[in-house]
Amino acid sequence: MANQDENKEGIGGMINPRRYGIERVAYLLMRLSGLGLLAYFIGHIYETSSILKGQVGWNEFLAITQTNAGHAILAIVIAMCVFHTVNGIRVMLGHGGVGVGKPARPDYPYIPASQNIRHKMGIYSAIILAAIAMMYGLAVMFGE
Amino acid sequence: MKIHYGTALAAIALVAVHILMRLTQGFAESLEYDSVIANYKFLPYAGMLEIILILLSIHGFNGLRVILLELKQGRRYEKAVSYGCVAAMIALIAYGSRTIIMVNTGMT
Repeated sequence: MANQDENKEGIGGMINPRRYGIERVAYLLMRLSGLGLLAYFIGHIYETSSILKGQVGWNEFLAITQTNAGHAILAIVIAMCVFHTVNGIRVMLGHGGVGVGKPARPDYPYIPASQNIRHKMGIYSAIILAAIAMMYGLAVMFGE
Repeated sequence: MKIHYGTALAAIALVAVHILMRLTQGFAESLEYDSVIANYKFLPYAGMLEIILILLSIHGFNGLRVILLELKQGRRYEKAVSYGCVAAMIALIAYGSRTIIMVNTGMT
């Protein structure tokens, strides 16, 4: 029982991105973006309920979000949304057996077939697309 | 995971429509009071918002449940997390639905 407890790393082990390469970074970003998007979603539902207070209530709440800080937060939300979507599709395809390679006898140096260049490219694509979407969002919001 | 993936795929399509509605009207104009009210009063769009609300609530709170269950295990803990996430999901759907229904039926 004591050994089991020693091996429990908790949140520290969960968020450590150093040991398993870009796949671990993707795992961490997937969870962080998921939590961020859930927080935004709850906030968005609360924000839109201000329309029940009429035009004055709506405009007052909108004024809080239509600031530089509000736009910056929305840009981060856009990036999280795009990363979560693209990486989520990659994960779904992987679970379906797409792009994970053929089953083979495990031989030294035991390189996992599923952690191949196709999936690494998928992760890097998700990060790049998220950055592009964030820049586009900033252009739309600050361009007006 | 079937529920998680199913809600994700459905939400991608519907959220894309929701965001495109903002961009095609012009971002600032689409957020004006009259424009938002018109959106809510248009029944197909209000229906789509309700479906997005349900899909994202299920997906979001199921994702939170998975993260919390990865962190710690135990019979009582797992039950508390699962029931807590379902309760939060229902509360959020009820709160969001209240807004959609009240605006759609003109109870503002």
